[in-house]
Amino acid sequence: MSKSKPNWGVLIGAAVIFVPLFVVLVMSFGRDPRAVPDALVGEPAPTFELLDIDGKPHALADHIGKRPVVLNFWSTWCLPCKQEHPLLLQAPAAWPDVAFYGVIYNDEAVKADRYLKRAGSAYPHLVDPGSAIAIDLGVAGVPETYFIDASGRIIYKHKGPLTEHHLVEILGPPGAR
Amino acid sequence: MIPELGRFFVLASVAFASMGAVTGIAAGATRSLQGWRWAKSCALGFASTIIIANILMIYALISHDFSVGYVAKVGSLDTPLYFTIVSLWASLDGSILFWGGILGVYVGMFAWIEGDRRREYTPWTLGVLLLICVFFSMLVASIADPFARVDPPLTDGPGPNPLLQNHWLMAVHPPFLYLGFVGMVVPYAMGCAALLAGRLDAGWLSPLRRWFLVPWAFLTIAIMLGGWWSYEVLGWGGYWAWDPVENASFLPWLTGTAFLHSVMVTQRRNRLKTWTLLLLFATFLLTLFGTFLTRSGVFNSVHSFTQSDIGPIFLGFIAVVFCVSAVLVAMREGALEGESGDGEDWVTHRIGRLHPLSRELYIFLQNLAFTLFMLTVLLGTVFPLVMEAWDGTRLSIGQPYFDRMALPIGLLLIALMAIGPAVPWGRMKSDRAVRQLLMPFGVGALAGLATIPLIGFAPYAAFSVALCTWAGLLNINEFVTPVRQRMRSKGESAPKAMAGAFRRAHRRFGGHIAHLGVIMVVLGVTASKGFQVSEEVTLTPGQSVTVGQYSAVFTGAETINEPHRRSIVANVVVHEGGSELGVLKPRLNYYKRQREPIGTPDVRPGLTNDLYMSLLSVAPDNSWAALRVMRTPFVSWIWIGTLVIAFGSFIALWPTRRERDKGRA
Repeated sequence: MSKSKPNWGVLIGAAVIFVPLFVVLVMSFGRDPRAVPDALVGEPAPTFELLDIDGKPHALADHIGKRPVVLNFWSTWCLPCKQEHPLLLQAPAAWPDVAFYGVIYNDEAVKADRYLKRAGSAYPHLVDPGSAIAIDLGVAGVPETYFIDASGRIIYKHKGPLTEHHLVEILGPPGAR
Repeated sequence: MIPELGRFFVLASVAFASMGAVTGIAAGATRSLQGWRWAKSCALGFASTIIIANILMIYALISHDFSVGYVAKVGSLDTPLYFTIVSLWASLDGSILFWGGILGVYVGMFAWIEGDRRREYTPWTLGVLLLICVFFSMLVASIADPFARVDPPLTDGPGPNPLLQNHWLMAVHPPFLYLGFVGMVVPYAMGCAALLAGRLDAGWLSPLRRWFLVPWAFLTIAIMLGGWWSYEVLGWGGYWAWDPVENASFLPWLTGTAFLHSVMVTQRRNRLKTWTLLLLFATFLLTLFGTFLTRSGVFNSVHSFTQSDIGPIFLGFIAVVFCVSAVLVAMREGALEGESGDGEDWVTHRIGRLHPLSRELYIFLQNLAFTLFMLTVLLGTVFPLVMEAWDGTRLSIGQPYFDRMALPIGLLLIALMAIGPAVPWGRMKSDRAVRQLLMPFGVGALAGLATIPLIGFAPYAAFSVALCTWAGLLNINEFVTPVRQRMRSKGESAPKAMAGAFRRAHRRFGGHIAHLGVIMVVLGVTASKGFQVSEEVTLTPGQSVTVGQYSAVFTGAETINEPHRRSIVANVVVHEGGSELGVLKPRLNYYKRQREPIGTPDVRPGLTNDLYMSLLSVAPDNSWAALRVMRTPFVSWIWIGTLVIAFGSFIALWPTRRERDKGRA
C-alpha cells in the first residue's frame, strides 16, 4: 500500500451528513409507527352475550359492578398465542377476583377445543360467530387482550403475547384484589 | 433432523466467511499467493454452505416440517405449493436466510469469474466481501435463526402473510429486489479494494462497472415490479406513493444511476475517481439503509412485512460500514488521485477542466442532479422522524412534497439526458452544437404544443412531452449517425452498417436504448398521473357505469371457495364503443388469518389505456357491488419502458471483444 495524505474534508463532510441521521434513527427506536391512540380505551366496553365451547352462555353484563374482566383473543394457528398460554393458565388462580375469557378468533371451535384438551384450559373460551365482538372492539390480529374494569370500561388494550409483567402492571400484584 | 442440519450449514458458512475474510485481507496486504487461493476457496465454501442452508429451508417448507421454527411461523398445510416456496422470504428470519443465499450466489460467482485475475485487487475484494458475509451469516446463526427447533412440533401453521399470497408478482418482486440490493456488495468491495490498493485503473473499472450494472438492472426491474404489484394488488389504481419502503429501493437507484455515468468519465478521462467511489459507497450504504427501513419497524409503510428487533443491530452495522468507508476514502483518496500537476488546484485535479460543451460536464451536472434528488427523497423520508424526535409531533410527508420536488429535478434530468449524449467528450464547437441540438429541440417544443388541443393546457405534461421528444430524437440520432457514416464512407448496406456500428460500440448503444426506456417510463408516468379518470359506484345486477370510452355492466357476484381462502368475485362485462371487450372479475379474498378481506383488482391492460376495476364491497346476498372503475392512460409504458432499460443494460453489460479476449487469456 502506497502512503498518501489523509483528506480530513471527506471525514468532516461524512460526519456532518451521517451523525444527525444516525442520532435521529437511534432516537426513533421503540416508536410504533402504526400507533394511533385507541379510541375505545376509557370508553364502556361493547356488551356481549356468547356461548363458550361447551355451549354455556356468558355475558359481560354478569360482571359489571362486580369484577374486572380480561378478554383474550387467540387462535390455534397463532404461535405467540401458544407462547402466552401457560401464563394465562395460571392467571385465574393468581387473580381469583378477575373474570378471564378467551375468545376464539377466526378459527374453528373444534380445532380450538382439541388444542385446549391437550394444552389445558383454566377459564371459558367463547365462540364469536362472524367475529362480531372482535369487530366491535376492532381486533386487528392475535393475540390481543382487553382489560375491562369492574365498571365495564376498557382500561387497557394489549397487542401481542402477554407477559407476567403486563398482568401485574394492570391487574396489580397476584391475589391483591 | 432439518433444524440441526440447517444450523450446521449456517455455522459452516460463518466459519468459511470468517476464515476467508482474514486470509483475503492478509493476502491483499502481503500479496501472498497462498492466502489469495485460500480466500477464493473460502468464498466458494461460504457460497455452497449458505446456498445448501437455503435449499434445506425450502425442503422443510415444502415437506411441512413444523419442527423447524420458521416453518411453524409461516407454513400452513392449506397454502398452495407455489406460495409455500415463496414463504422463504415471507418473514424476517427466512428473508435474512434468503438474503444470505443470494449473497452466497454473488460471492461464489465473483470468486469463480474474477478469482484468478487482477492480483492487486482481487484478494482485497474477497476479504471485504467475506467480512460482510460474516455479519449476515452471524445474523442467520443468532437472532434471525430460522432453524430453531419447535418442540413439540405444531400440527399446522398460520401460512404466510395474505398480501404475499395474493398475486404471482409477489413471488418475483422480492427476489429481484434482493438481487439488486445484495448484489451491490460486490462493487462496494471492489471499490474498497481500489482504495486499499491505492489505484483505480481501466483494468479494474471495466469489471467494476459490469458487476455494478448487474444489480443495478435487477434493482430497476424490482422497482418496476413493486410498482406493478402495488397497481395490480392494492386496488387504489396507482403504482407509486412515495412510501418509505418504496423510497428505500429508489434511493440507491438514484446514486447508482449517477455512478453508472460518472464511471464513464473515470474510464474515459481518468477523472472523478473519488467522486465515482463516493457514489458507489453511497449506493451500497443506501441499500443497507433501505433494508433498515423495511426491517427496523421505525417507519410506517403499507408493506413493511418483516418488522423486528433487528433494527439496532442493523443500524450498528450501517454505522460501522459508514465509518470504515469514510476513513478509507479519507486516508487513501490521495493515493488514488495522484499528485496534481500543471498548476491544477485540488478540485480541478479531481474533476478536470470541464468545457461548457463537453459530455463530461453534462454527466457531472447529471450526477449533481441525481444526488440532489436522492437527498430530497431521503429528507422527505426521515423528516417525520426528525419532527417526532424534536418535539413529539407526529406528521407524515405525503405525496405532494415528493411530487413537487421530483417534478423539476426529473425534468432537468431529461434535459441533461438530451444534451449529454449529443455532445462529445472533450469539447464541441458551439455552431455545431447549435445545429445538432436546436432542430430536435424545435420538434420537441412543437410536440409539447401539440398536446394542448389533445389534453388541454397542462403545462407540466406539455413540458414533459417536449423534453422527452427532444431527448428521444437526440438519442435516436446517436444510433442513426454512425450507421449513416458507415454507409457513406464504406458503402455498406443499411443492415450491414447497423451490425458493424453495433459491434463497434454496443455498450454505447445499450446506454441509448436504456435512455429510450427512461423516456417511455417518464411519458407513462406523465400520462397516468395526470389524466386518470375514476368512478366509484354501487351497482345492482344489470346496472352499468361509464368511464371514459368504456362502459361496464355488473352482471352478478359469486363465491369461490379454495383451501386457503374464500373469494367473492364480481362479474363485470366491459364494452368500448358498442363492442364487447370481455368480462372483468375483480374479487375480494378472505384469508383465514385475516378478518379484513384483501382485494384483487382486475385490469384490462392496453397500450393507450388500462381499464382498472376493484371490488370495494358486496352485499351479503350478492345483490349489489360497490366498484371502483378507472381508466389510466399509458400506464403500460412504465412496465415496457423498464424492460427496455433492462434490455439496454444487458447489451451494455456484454463484454467488448477486447474484454472477451482478455478474459480468455
